[in-house]
Amino acid sequence: MGNIADPVTHWAFVILVSVVMGTGLLIAVAFFRRWTQIRYARYVHTLQRQYRPVLAEALSGARNPAGIEALRELPLADLELLLDPVFSKRKLPERCLVFLQALCAELGLIELWQCRLANGGSAAFPASGSGAHSGFHDRPVGHYLLRAKSIRNLGKLRHRPSWPLLVNALDDRHADIQSVALRSLASLGAPESFPVLRERLHAVAQGKSLSPPLQGLQAAMVSYDLDCVPALLPSLRHSDRQIRMYATEILRTMVRRNAARPQGFTLTPELLTPQVVELLLTGLPVDPSAEIRARAAEVIVFLPDPRALTVLGDLLRDPQWFVRLRTVRALAHLRQAAAPLLLDMRECLHDIHWRVREAAIQTLISRGPEGKRQLYEHFLTSTDRTAREQIIEVLERAGLMAVLVEEYSAGANGAEALMVEQLASDAASQGLSRVLCASRPEILRKFLDRMLPGVIAKLRLLEEASPEVESAISLQKALTIPPNLAA
Amino acid sequence: MNHLRLFLHDWVTVFNLVVLSYFFLGNGIYTILMLLSLRATWVHLQQMAYQGLDALRHSPLTRPVTIIIPAWNEQDVIVNSVRSALQADYPDLQVMVVDDGSTDMTVSRLVQSFGLVEMDGTYHPIIPTAPVRAWYINPAIPNLLVVSKVRGGKPDALNVGINLCRSPYFCNLDADCLLERDALLRLMDPIANSAVETVVSGGIVRILNGCETKDGRVLRVGLPRTWLERFQVVEYLRSFLFGRTGWHLLGGTLIVSGAFAVFHRATVIEAGGFCHDTVTEDMDLIVQLHQWAAENHRKIRMSFTSDPVCWTECPSTLAMLANQRRRWQLGLCQTLWKHSEILFGRKYGIVGWLSFPFHSYVEGLGAAVEFLGYLLIPLGIFLGMVPPGLLLVFILLGFIYGGFLSVGAVLLEELTYRRYPRFRDLLTLLVFAMFENIGYRQLVLYYRFQGVLKFLAGSRRWEKVAHVGATA
Repeated sequence: MGNIADPVTHWAFVILVSVVMGTGLLIAVAFFRRWTQIRYARYVHTLQRQYRPVLAEALSGARNPAGIEALRELPLADLELLLDPVFSKRKLPERCLVFLQALCAELGLIELWQCRLANGGSAAFPASGSGAHSGFHDRPVGHYLLRAKSIRNLGKLRHRPSWPLLVNALDDRHADIQSVALRSLASLGAPESFPVLRERLHAVAQGKSLSPPLQGLQAAMVSYDLDCVPALLPSLRHSDRQIRMYATEILRTMVRRNAARPQGFTLTPELLTPQVVELLLTGLPVDPSAEIRARAAEVIVFLPDPRALTVLGDLLRDPQWFVRLRTVRALAHLRQAAAPLLLDMRECLHDIHWRVREAAIQTLISRGPEGKRQLYEHFLTSTDRTAREQIIEVLERAGLMAVLVEEYSAGANGAEALMVEQLASDAASQGLSRVLCASRPEILRKFLDRMLPGVIAKLRLLEEASPEVESAISLQKALTIPPNLAA
Repeated sequence: MNHLRLFLHDWVTVFNLVVLSYFFLGNGIYTILMLLSLRATWVHLQQMAYQGLDALRHSPLTRPVTIIIPAWNEQDVIVNSVRSALQADYPDLQVMVVDDGSTDMTVSRLVQSFGLVEMDGTYHPIIPTAPVRAWYINPAIPNLLVVSKVRGGKPDALNVGINLCRSPYFCNLDADCLLERDALLRLMDPIANSAVETVVSGGIVRILNGCETKDGRVLRVGLPRTWLERFQVVEYLRSFLFGRTGWHLLGGTLIVSGAFAVFHRATVIEAGGFCHDTVTEDMDLIVQLHQWAAENHRKIRMSFTSDPVCWTECPSTLAMLANQRRRWQLGLCQTLWKHSEILFGRKYGIVGWLSFPFHSYVEGLGAAVEFLGYLLIPLGIFLGMVPPGLLLVFILLGFIYGGFLSVGAVLLEELTYRRYPRFRDLLTLLVFAMFENIGYRQLVLYYRFQGVLKFLAGSRRWEKVAHVGATA
């Protein structure tokens, strides 16, 4: 070791000792943490093992006064710990939710959570129970984590009377609390809170306020029922383009969410109010903002109004490609008879933008036999190579090539049969040959029985033109089928 | 003779100052990053209790994502990787494998495992790439697409994926990686909840060696058996838990692991996609995005979350480790050199004034400084310019401070995620953290120095790390 009296060496030595001590401290903290975690896990485990049967009984609706009494004797913090796994679950069954709400009310937990939220968390606990665990120090009253969990729990319970407290929480100093409050408001779905959120949306969109986050607001608003849509009218009519756009987006998402539900869905004027319907048919489709027009199309398809078809037809010819794209995609969900629009959709197969063309193919397929017929006819008559390639690609991805082969083998006629023959004679479709290779032998045999005479006739013509062509090789190449089958 | 001695004296003095500054700057900033990360990771852990992933999962506003898996000769690992991607818990997900002209069984294994059939496809490239030659699908797995292209390198394969993907966000995933079920959801959470346009979101990559896996999922987390892999576990913890987290908190993210990150597709296209002129395309893209945003006056955000986990295989032999570290160092130097105008550029803010200079000096040049330090300091002693005692104290300090930082990373892991549940694992990690700086660090330094030399020689060769199939 060098001379410690030398100032540089001295300081280096001091730093060295500090670092050694610091490392030791870190190791000690790591061990301590592991020890406390093990202790905590054991405590929670014991608690849950002891009270889980009582809890399960209560959540199944069985009445057990002795069990409830035992739970009541627990400190509130322990009760929260006990119920935390239940609230952390992805989704609580509806039946369980009713009993859980009753249990939480009986144990005073709802009151506790509401107290935490009132006055920014500084309110005192309710009289029953203490705030602390029996074995561990709890977080200080007013800690944001306690507030966040309280909001989460009230939301999960769908405790509607708490909505004003959750609205107040949107002004919490902690940004996370605002986000959790938004999620809980969405879960509650109290119609009274919808106008409050709308006003917040206006403030945030106009830059008057930075919180709560815009995306969170939108996500919360789309979770409300469609009954709340009339309250969105001021936003849909707002002079600010951004606000109109957000409102249309919210409306679009609400409608699509409802439309995706298995039970029937109709967007009646009674549900939306005549003013909203009128705005959808006459105002939004001619909005200067293409973003708004595109989103409006996705709502209009669900309107049972006869004017909707004309509006959608106009939107299919919109100058902006993404309006056409969204409209053509939306038409897959059209509830009315789409016959008048099928020709417009077929026009989209010539669109300058490939994504519109692709969407048009997909929509025509989704429109059932009539849509497919239009698509096949277009394929057979079109000279546009790109459009034809795209049709083949989408057919393959949708698994329709195999369906076409099966139908052809079963003797189907019309556009489908011509389509298959065209695909086979082009010899350009990898997909067709793969489908043939993977087909069941009887389907393949029937297919070849029907296809081969035509192919052989063509080959004869080819042979006459160029005798050196060997027909067997050509045939094999044309269909890319195993040689034994070709023979 | 006296002149030579004087010259050497001056030169060694200057070099010693450089080494000292490197030591203090590097360790000082790492200490700050560690302290920042400690708080941030702790807070993040608390947030997980009410994170609302469920809301994100069910929200109709959650944006679709395409996982792009570039693969070149990955026959041993690709199937499990794709399986893990398909199992990801995400509401609207596409998985796309881009085979970059493999010469092994990569494609046929995929075809066999997922019942794929070749189809005809149309390709509309926005970013120019090598041509796509085959497409494979299975209509029964509509969210899986495999394309095979002419070999053009990993960036080219990623660009093909970008061209083909239809979702606003894409996630690139290495072919040897396994995703945790909710990793993508967690990665998208900062994007969904950010007021500023988040264009990149990165997650933590952990080491798969030693873990028990089945069908693309990690069943039991454990430490690897060999010392080489264990040192890498500590190294990854340090790099991700406080390196990346810390830089993210400071707003100076320069590296997001290319093994697992989500990108905003339109922004990446505007910035030009992945470039071919460096061997670390992930870092290059991040720096390029910084440059693009500054030049176009765009306010963008890059997020790093230490919670979404992707498991990857680490090199298990010295030769593989050498290949990997040489490539990383070469890519780092290439990227820093390529974007050198960011250095102290006023419009680049914290990136230009802190993050970029730090990476250039400590991470880039540092490899050469430290390596030469090990050679030249003994020369200083020989010339009588450095007192041996002082040197000893400094060397001890260097080793122990490195150990302190590594132990800090293990502590961070212990305070937060505790992925290694057994007490024995904690002990092992602490021991390896303390001794990481004695031997292993010097070994890695040697490889990094070779990477610097390759950069100086103008090399652009991609050194592939063969995956032995820990995920298989």
